Amino acid sequence: MSNFLQFTVFGVMLGAGYAIAATGLVVTYTTSGVFNFAQGAVGMIAAFGYWELVAAHNVPVVAALVIILILGASISGAFVERVLMRRLHGASVERPVMVTLGLMVILTGIATIVWSPTVERTVEPLVSGSFRFVGINIQYNYVLIMVVALVVAIGLRALFYNTRTGYALRAVVDDPALLGMSGVSPNRMSQYGWILGFMLAALSGILLATTQQTGISIEAMTLLVVSGYAAAIVGRLKNLPLTFAAAIAIGLAENYVLNYIEPHLSSQLQTDVTSALPMVFLFIALVTLPSVRLRAVGRLTSMRAPRVASGKESLVAGGAFLVVAVVLAVAFAGTNIQGTTLLTLGGMVMTLGIVALSLVLLTGYSGQVSLCQFSFMGIGAFVMGKVAGGGSLFGLVAATVICAGVGALVALPTIRLSDLYLALATFAFADAVATGFFADGRIYGSGGLTIYRIVLPGLSLGGERAEFLMVTVFFVLAAWLVLAIRRSLFGRRLVAVNDSPAAYATVGLNIGFTKVAVFAIAAGMAGLAGALYGTVQQIVGTTDFDIFPGIIFVLFVTIWGIRTVSGAFLAALTYVALNQIWPSSVGLFAGIGVILIGRAANGILGIETLHFTLPWRKSPPAGTAQAPTPSFDGAAAGSEGLSAAG
Amino acid sequence: MPPADPSGTAVLTVESVAVRFGGVAALSDANLCVQAGTVTGLIGPNGAGKTTLFNVISGLQAPDRGTVYLHDTDITRMRPHRRARLGLARTFQRLELFGTLSAGENVQVGLESSVKWWQWHHVRRSFPWVKRGTPTVGGVPADEPTGPGSIAVATSDRLLEGVGLGGLGAEQASAMPTGLARMVELARALAMAPKVLLLDEPGSGLDDAEAEALGQLLTTLAAGGMGVLLVEHDMELVMRICDYIYVLDFGDIIAAGTPEEIRRDPVVQAAYLGTVAVTDVDTAAGSTVDAAVEPDDDGEVAKT
Repeated sequence: MSNFLQFTVFGVMLGAGYAIAATGLVVTYTTSGVFNFAQGAVGMIAAFGYWELVAAHNVPVVAALVIILILGASISGAFVERVLMRRLHGASVERPVMVTLGLMVILTGIATIVWSPTVERTVEPLVSGSFRFVGINIQYNYVLIMVVALVVAIGLRALFYNTRTGYALRAVVDDPALLGMSGVSPNRMSQYGWILGFMLAALSGILLATTQQTGISIEAMTLLVVSGYAAAIVGRLKNLPLTFAAAIAIGLAENYVLNYIEPHLSSQLQTDVTSALPMVFLFIALVTLPSVRLRAVGRLTSMRAPRVASGKESLVAGGAFLVVAVVLAVAFAGTNIQGTTLLTLGGMVMTLGIVALSLVLLTGYSGQVSLCQFSFMGIGAFVMGKVAGGGSLFGLVAATVICAGVGALVALPTIRLSDLYLALATFAFADAVATGFFADGRIYGSGGLTIYRIVLPGLSLGGERAEFLMVTVFFVLAAWLVLAIRRSLFGRRLVAVNDSPAAYATVGLNIGFTKVAVFAIAAGMAGLAGALYGTVQQIVGTTDFDIFPGIIFVLFVTIWGIRTVSGAFLAALTYVALNQIWPSSVGLFAGIGVILIGRAANGILGIETLHFTLPWRKSPPAGTAQAPTPSFDGAAAGSEGLSAAG
Repeated sequence: MPPADPSGTAVLTVESVAVRFGGVAALSDANLCVQAGTVTGLIGPNGAGKTTLFNVISGLQAPDRGTVYLHDTDITRMRPHRRARLGLARTFQRLELFGTLSAGENVQVGLESSVKWWQWHHVRRSFPWVKRGTPTVGGVPADEPTGPGSIAVATSDRLLEGVGLGGLGAEQASAMPTGLARMVELARALAMAPKVLLLDEPGSGLDDAEAEALGQLLTTLAAGGMGVLLVEHDMELVMRICDYIYVLDFGDIIAAGTPEEIRRDPVVQAAYLGTVAVTDVDTAAGSTVDAAVEPDDDGEVAKT
């Protein structure tokens, strides 16, 4: 019984820490309409900053808290709102997701540079000592965390429902223009929301850091508030009391599972369960959410989509690309760059290019954000390695089909929700797979999983040159596939479902089926890419398909242009090149790049000023976008068309 | 008030529909009926519940109570795309176009809505080397070319011509002026060959001549057997083309009848023009309902 009470107290305390982080998320979302993926990273920076001040520079605790919470967090929150988020008003749904992810990788990148991951750091409790209550030991620090969480919850409730500022904070997302007309600055209200969100993130980061008895690490602290994400989702990103209650429940459930169920598992499974549990809670929270009502939002996408190459153009471009690849394969065979052959790097570019193409299809055309394409790559590589050791074409087919099936299973439960929730589900899936599956020594083995190169009867693909050309052919085929899909009626539907879901449904088309179908196709492509990646590398390890590299790669594709095949190729090329030349700063490049790109939906390749017309190509005739004045003279002629339709 | 179905040819019937948003009753007890081959008007002041009723009929809003029938089929709990497949099409008060597609492609999406894209003969058409010999949409003969000359495109061009947008098929939908964009929405709805067409203020953004042509078009469609339910603030247009009119106010149908009956109904006059007695609602005709109730520059509500 005393054990149960002890676990309960610790669970409530843990939940209280999550509750502070979760309410911060809700405050930011309520006041800006943006889900801040960087919430955990802000908490992580605050925790490390607090450690730096208190442990490394002997600054008094209260002074350190004032510096971090009052000065650091509030100034950072205001800065992020003013510089990064304000210019995204009215941008497409995936933009704020990408920018907050960019912020997350920047913060983790900075933290890695400032605080070496090899040094062990422990944050002491804010108050030391303990007392006995009904036969159990309770630390004063735990009580402090619970009290702080309660004060935050009551304070926020009072702010939002009993003050004029609170009403304005709630109103700003519904109709900023109307709020402006009532004499309140909507920008100011959004800024208050971000400041509050950052302060709560920092507070939760510091408080949760004091409970980490084995020390704090950058990745663990960044992902520690994921249970807070789950609580915020249960509260549907707007209900503070429900969010608070859900956070406490998750803290309790997590602690009960760790103490009652985990001891009965094998030691390897214990690690898997501990790592994957927060993500499992997040996934359960998403699956149990009620469906989002389809709304006619009256928002007209004004973005001009990049021109889609015709069938003939894509055939010619693909052929030319293959010729260049053959020339490169002949000219640079055996050339090394920092210990890796150029053709191996080229093979990695082609395989990652296929992953980028899957993102063009999924995010670029249909507007769905997936943060788990690297997970599908990892599963594809695993399947490839287990089918005839990777040396069979059947392995490629199996990897593609199995990943498509897994993709459909990931998409199915969340497809009825808004696109933000799908992004969160893929985030949860990516981390759960990385920590609970790939990290398991039995999956890839301690030395990594060996994947042999494909052997065809009468044709040797074992050499480096043949391997490079083979994956290049697959890249070209994937590019043709993506362009062919975009030109087809399915491609029109992908664009249509992104532009207006309400109109899509009311012309008789099934939104859920379309979204699951494209998600499965994209997952299958990523699985194929993973299988090919395995044949290029010949050995894949536990960290090849982590969540952070996956997110960074998505940002690279966004930076270059997530709606174009050329953007996909350039993203893969620069990602591989930077990883080879300057691996520790890839995240910083991605984060800064995506923030600079901001709301340019078509990335670098879509920036008009970078466009030039080749001298032998005719400029488009002036005024093509000018619509002539309509007349209904065609009404009589139209009756033919109408009767044909009717 | 029960729905009127004197001839028994109702294609759309709404019975006792109620919708509440928190403490506000958007619809209390809405009943109406749309006959095949007629244009039925649904009028009422702003906030009366017209768009909410459209959303209930098309499936974007679940009612708290009541039933919606398409012919004899209860579609109340049916998902929007299934209702559309049964022959229900609509346009929106605030434009819902596929903005990154061209006007022609918007219509094509409607034309091809019954096509299953995963069937091999459709997948095959996407291959750049396939030029001929492939079936296209709507049972059109198979030996038509693909690409810009295909039957789907040709049909979308004909539909666009039909709504007065001939030659504008290549324009990006989001770049078009509101009036034209509304016509693209209408053409897309017509591409589904609907049995019932719900139009939410199609006349806004059109000038007098265009509104006149729109009226002719809707009359032509109804003459072909389609049931049209029209929400419109242009009273002159409504009175001219509607066969039957329902008046919605504060979520209730307060009057129903022919245009002439509605014109003379004192309850309707009171709803539109306040409690000041007027002898003829014609004072509102030719202007919009909004204009009749909107305050003037001095903040006074005009009571003519």
